[in-house]
Amino acid sequence: MRISVLAFGLMAATALAGQAHADKLDDIIASGTLRCAVVLDFPPMGSRDENNNPIGFDVDYCNDLAKALGVTAEIVETPFPERIPALMSGRVDVGVASTSDTLERAKTVGMTVPYFAFEMAVTANDKSGIKSFEDMKGKTVGATAGTFEAIALEKSVKEWGVGEFRPYQTQADVFLALSQGQIDATVSTSTVAQANVKSGKFAGISVVGKAPYDIDYVALFTNREEYGLINYLNLFINQQVRTGRYAELYEKWVGGEVPSLSVNGVYR
Amino acid sequence: MFHYTFHWNQAFKALPQMLDGALVTLQIALLSMAIGLAVAIALTLFRLSGSRILGGFATAWIEVARNTPALFQIYMAHFGLGNFGIHLSPFTSLLVGIAFNNAGYLAENFRGALKAIPDTQARAGRSLGMTSLQAFRLIVMPQMLRVAFLPVTNQMVWAILMTSLGVTVGMNTDLAGITQELNARSFRTFEFFAIAAVIYYVIAKAVTLAARAFASRMFRY
Repeated sequence: MRISVLAFGLMAATALAGQAHADKLDDIIASGTLRCAVVLDFPPMGSRDENNNPIGFDVDYCNDLAKALGVTAEIVETPFPERIPALMSGRVDVGVASTSDTLERAKTVGMTVPYFAFEMAVTANDKSGIKSFEDMKGKTVGATAGTFEAIALEKSVKEWGVGEFRPYQTQADVFLALSQGQIDATVSTSTVAQANVKSGKFAGISVVGKAPYDIDYVALFTNREEYGLINYLNLFINQQVRTGRYAELYEKWVGGEVPSLSVNGVYR
Repeated sequence: MFHYTFHWNQAFKALPQMLDGALVTLQIALLSMAIGLAVAIALTLFRLSGSRILGGFATAWIEVARNTPALFQIYMAHFGLGNFGIHLSPFTSLLVGIAFNNAGYLAENFRGALKAIPDTQARAGRSLGMTSLQAFRLIVMPQMLRVAFLPVTNQMVWAILMTSLGVTVGMNTDLAGITQELNARSFRTFEFFAIAAVIYYVIAKAVTLAARAFASRMFRY
């Protein structure tokens, strides 16, 4: 009698405790919606089509993830500086937003393994006479505030000790300023550079070469303590590569040689 | 639902950098007020001049400055002019944008203040043999500035807060610019923005209190 009461109490307690431990992965599945933070002025990763619908690599990636989870995807547009506030205030569940996985940032959010990798390219105004990365020394240069390349370029300008660095809030503003000649050159991911030059929206600019920065590995992110979800996301990224979906999306949005997501000689 | 642990000790390391930014903010606000005051007095004179062209110019300036967002004005100073090959640095664009805005609002303040000064003041000046410009400069303007003083300090506070819009034109040395950059680097949004908010509050409050103290000393009857 006493044992069965105890057993019952124990069962009730575990059931309750189980309830209280629903994590974010459970919450997403229960709610039926996956809310992704995506940057939509960053073609070809994220942008809008003529009908104003979100499109791009990151948009497709979020849809794939939602499909895997068996829920519907909701794309929440977040400019670069607003990705983290959106996550912290609970407006989004996951960031699929080309976020560079720096150690400094990983103190604040939980990063997955890389899901994409960028190379950096220099795009210059044709009138500036800049033909390579080295020619940027002493010129006025700019990049999108808060990005990997902006941080790297500002550091370069400081090391050169001459010239000026200007961070703009959106990628579109950087290319507008570049095309107007307000800045002489910018460093951006090569995918963005090519997409913008090809778009024809910005006259008088060309991609002139590579920037000697590290490969910019970007990760999905969510709240730091959500191990269950991070675990799931890591496996999802692995499966995207394994099943060939990563290569397929790369071909669809970027084209060319698919960048490797692994670093030689080390485990994650 | 707020999954965030504050790292204040990390954020406070950046305080000296942010205070340097606050100085730049104050510098832009003061410069924009100096320019704005000069232009506003000119606009007020234009409106009083009776000339259609000058009056129309002043009215157009004031209408645009007061009825469009400051963000738009600053953006136009940078990218709008840039379209015509006029390239202002972020600092200058921000300064021009805010000064433009200030001039519009201050001119309206002056118009209100002028209404409080009876016509007989100017006429009394004229009857003493002053030219109309002398009567304005020596009799009317000092009274106008006195009446408009507190509204002008409000505009100064507004100018300080408007400097935060400089980030949209690539400004990275003022308080908002530095805060944005620190935020981008570390993602510690809430700490840095909270510190920035306190600094803005302290500056704005100090300006208001100083102005009030100054006014109560200067404008005793």
